[in-house]
Amino acid sequence: MPRNFFTLMRSSAPVGTAAPASNGALLEPPPSMKRDAADGVGVHLDPNLEAVRHEFTEEVETALQLRNVSAFYGSFQAIDKMTMPIPRNRVTALIGPSGCGKSTLLRCFNRMNDLIPGARIEGEIEFEGRNLIDPNVDAVEVRRRIGMVFQKPNPFPKSIYENVAFGARINGYSGDMDRLVEDALRRAALWDEVKDELDKSGLALSGGQQQRLCIARAIAVQPEIILMDEPASALDPVATLKIEDLMRELAEEYTIVVVTHNMQQAGRVSDYTAFLLAGEERVGRLVEFGPTQDIFTNPLDQRTEDYITGRYG
Amino acid sequence: MSAASPTAGITPYAPRIRARRGLSVGFMVIALLAITASMLMLGALIVEILVDGAARLFTDGSATAQEVRGATLIDLPTPENMNWLAWAMPVSILLPFLGLRVVRSLIADIPALAERAIGFATTLPVAVFVHILYVRFESAYYIEYAKAIGVDGASGNIFQLFAEASGFQFVRLIVAGLILPLGIIAAGWFWSNRLRRPSLLLPAIATAAWVVYLFLDPFFLSSYPSRLPAQAGLFSAITGTLYMMVITAAVAFPLGVGAAIYLEEYARRNWFSRMIQVNISNLAGVPSIIYGLLGLQVFVRVLEFERSVLAGACTMALLVMPIIIVSAQEALRTVPPSMREAAYAVGATRWQVVRFHVLPYAFGGMLTGNILAMSRAIGETAPLIAIGALTFIAFLADSPTDDFTVMPIQVFNWVTRPQSGFHEIAASGIIVLMLVLLVMNAAAIIMRQRTRTDW
Repeated sequence: MPRNFFTLMRSSAPVGTAAPASNGALLEPPPSMKRDAADGVGVHLDPNLEAVRHEFTEEVETALQLRNVSAFYGSFQAIDKMTMPIPRNRVTALIGPSGCGKSTLLRCFNRMNDLIPGARIEGEIEFEGRNLIDPNVDAVEVRRRIGMVFQKPNPFPKSIYENVAFGARINGYSGDMDRLVEDALRRAALWDEVKDELDKSGLALSGGQQQRLCIARAIAVQPEIILMDEPASALDPVATLKIEDLMRELAEEYTIVVVTHNMQQAGRVSDYTAFLLAGEERVGRLVEFGPTQDIFTNPLDQRTEDYITGRYG
Repeated sequence: MSAASPTAGITPYAPRIRARRGLSVGFMVIALLAITASMLMLGALIVEILVDGAARLFTDGSATAQEVRGATLIDLPTPENMNWLAWAMPVSILLPFLGLRVVRSLIADIPALAERAIGFATTLPVAVFVHILYVRFESAYYIEYAKAIGVDGASGNIFQLFAEASGFQFVRLIVAGLILPLGIIAAGWFWSNRLRRPSLLLPAIATAAWVVYLFLDPFFLSSYPSRLPAQAGLFSAITGTLYMMVITAAVAFPLGVGAAIYLEEYARRNWFSRMIQVNISNLAGVPSIIYGLLGLQVFVRVLEFERSVLAGACTMALLVMPIIIVSAQEALRTVPPSMREAAYAVGATRWQVVRFHVLPYAFGGMLTGNILAMSRAIGETAPLIAIGALTFIAFLADSPTDDFTVMPIQVFNWVTRPQSGFHEIAASGIIVLMLVLLVMNAAAIIMRQRTRTDW
C-alpha cells in the first residue's frame, strides 16, 4: 500500500478527508464550493467545508503534520482549523492573497507567534511525534530545529562571520567554528563572494547577499526545517533567481516551507502548494493542497483557479 | 553603515547644499579665527610645558618659570608643588584624544597619518612664535598694571588682578566669550565634513584650553577654599563632584538599565507594567528638593551614611534614575524588532537575545542618556543641601563615607558671601561648571552620532 498523504492523514487525524483516494483519480470538489466561488471575489467561505486535497503522486514522509490549527491575535482569528502535512525534503509553498494568514501559519511552525503579546495557537502541529504547540515544549528548542528566513534581510550589525556563527555559538556548538561558517556560507552560495572579507559588517552586503547571509545563518544551526517568509520579495530578479536556485538545492537536505506572493516563483521552486484564502470575516482557511504541478495545471477549486490565473488581482 | 560608505557626508538633497554654501564663507572666517586663536594657545601650552618643565628639571625646583623667562610674568601660582597639576589637566585631556586619533589613523592608512603629522609639525613653530609675541606684549602690560594697582607679584596670582580690575576683565570676557561659541560653530562645520574633521580636533581642544587659561588661573582649579578670595579655589569641589558622579553612575546606571530592560523586554503589557511606567514618568517630574528630603531620612538617618559622599551619590542616583530609565527604554526601542526575531529564529533564549543583540546595539544610546542624566546631577544643589553637604572642605575625601562638597554648593556659598571678591570667584566657578557641562553634553552628542546604526 503506498504510504501517501492520505494514508498518513487517515491514520493520524480524526478529521475526515473529502473522499477516499481509491483509484488515484483527482477529486471532485463538492458542488456547494463551486457555487460559492462563482459569486466572485471575497466569497463567503463555509467554515464547515473541508479543503480540497490532491492525491500525492509520490511516496513522501511527513515533516510536520498540522491538525485543526487555528491562530488568534487577541480576539481576532487569523487562521481557522487548517489540516495539512508538510512533506519532508520538499519545498512547500504557501500561496494566497494578502491577509489570508500565510505568514501567521508559517510563524506557528516555529512558535514565533509566542513573541507577540495576545497571540495564541490552537490545534496540533506534530513534529517528530510531539505537538509543537504544547506549552511544555521548549520554544527555543523548536526554533533551533526549525529555522526561519524573513521577508526583509535582517543580518545582525556584526561581521559576516559572527552573523553565521552566532546561532551555533549560543547553542553550544563545540566543533570547528571556522569550518561550520565556511560550510554554511558555501551551502548558501555566498562563500565565494565573501571569503576574503568575513570581518566586514553584514550590513555592508547587497540586499541579495544579505538574504543569502540570513539563509547561511539559518543553516549554520543545522535545523531540520527552514521556513522562508517571502524571502525574495525585497530583491531584484537576479538575486531572486539565486535565492530560488538555492532553495532547490537546499531541499535535498532540508524541508522548506516558503510563503510567496509570486505565482511563477511558487511554480518554479515548490513541490507542493497550499492555497489559502480569507473570507469576508478575514479568517484564513486552507482551500486546496497538493502537488504544485496539479494545483497549477488542474486546480479543483474555482477560487484556486481564479487566483492562479490572476483573476483575483 | 555610514562609516563604510564613501559618500557619507554628501547629502543628496540639493536645497540643503545651497543653504550651506551660502553660509560657508562666514564659517570659513570663523574657522580661521578659531584656528588662529587655537594656535596662540597651542604655543602657550608648549612654551609653558617646555619652559616650566625645563625650569624644574635644571634648577631643582627652586626657580620658577618667570625667572627662566626673565621674570616677566607674574601669573604663575605660588605653591610650587601644585604647579604641575595646572598643566597636567589640559595635557591629560589632550593626550587621549591625540592617542585615539593616532591609533585610528594607523589602522586606517599610514599616508594620511604622515600628512597629518607634517601639517601638525608645521603648525607648532608658528604657534610657539605667536605665543612668544603675545607673552611679551602681555607681560609688559602686566608689570605696568600690577605696579599701578599696587599688587605684589609674588603674593598674588593672575586672578587677583582680574578681580580688582573689572574693566580689564571685561575685555577678556568679550574675547573669550566670542571665541568659545565661534569655535564651537566652526567645530560643527568641520565636524560635518569627514575629511576636515581630524584637522580640527587639536585646534578645538587647544581653543578650549585657551579659554580656560584666559579666565581661570590654574591655581583656582588646584587650591582649596579659603577665607581670602584670592587664594580660594575649587579643588575640593571638583574632586567632590567627580567622586560623587562616579558613585552615582555606578549606582544609577546598572539599576536604571536593568529596569529599562525589564520593562521593554520582559514585562508583559498589563496594568502593573503600565503603573510602573506612569510612575517613572511622574518621578522624573518630582522637585529635586523632595529627593533631598527622602535621601536625608533614608540614607543619612536610617542607613546611617551620615552626610557622606555615599549618601549624596545615592540621593543623586534616585534623582536621575527616571531619566536613565526613560532614555534607556528609548534606546532599546530603536533596536528594530527584526533583530530580535532574527536572534530568536536561530534558537536564542530571551536573555541571549538581550545580552548579545539588543543590549549591545542600544548601549550607545544608553550611555548618551546616562551622560545627560549625569550632567543634570552635576548641577543639582538642593538635594545635597538638604542632606547636609558641607561648603568648606579643605581636604580630599579618602573614602565614600567622608564629608564632601560639590561645585554648585561651593558656588552657592561664595555668592552668599558679602565680599565682592567672592562674587568674582563665584563667576569663575560657574564658568568651570558650565565648561564641564558643555564637555559632557558634547560627549553625549558625539557618542550618539558614532554609535548610530543604519539598519
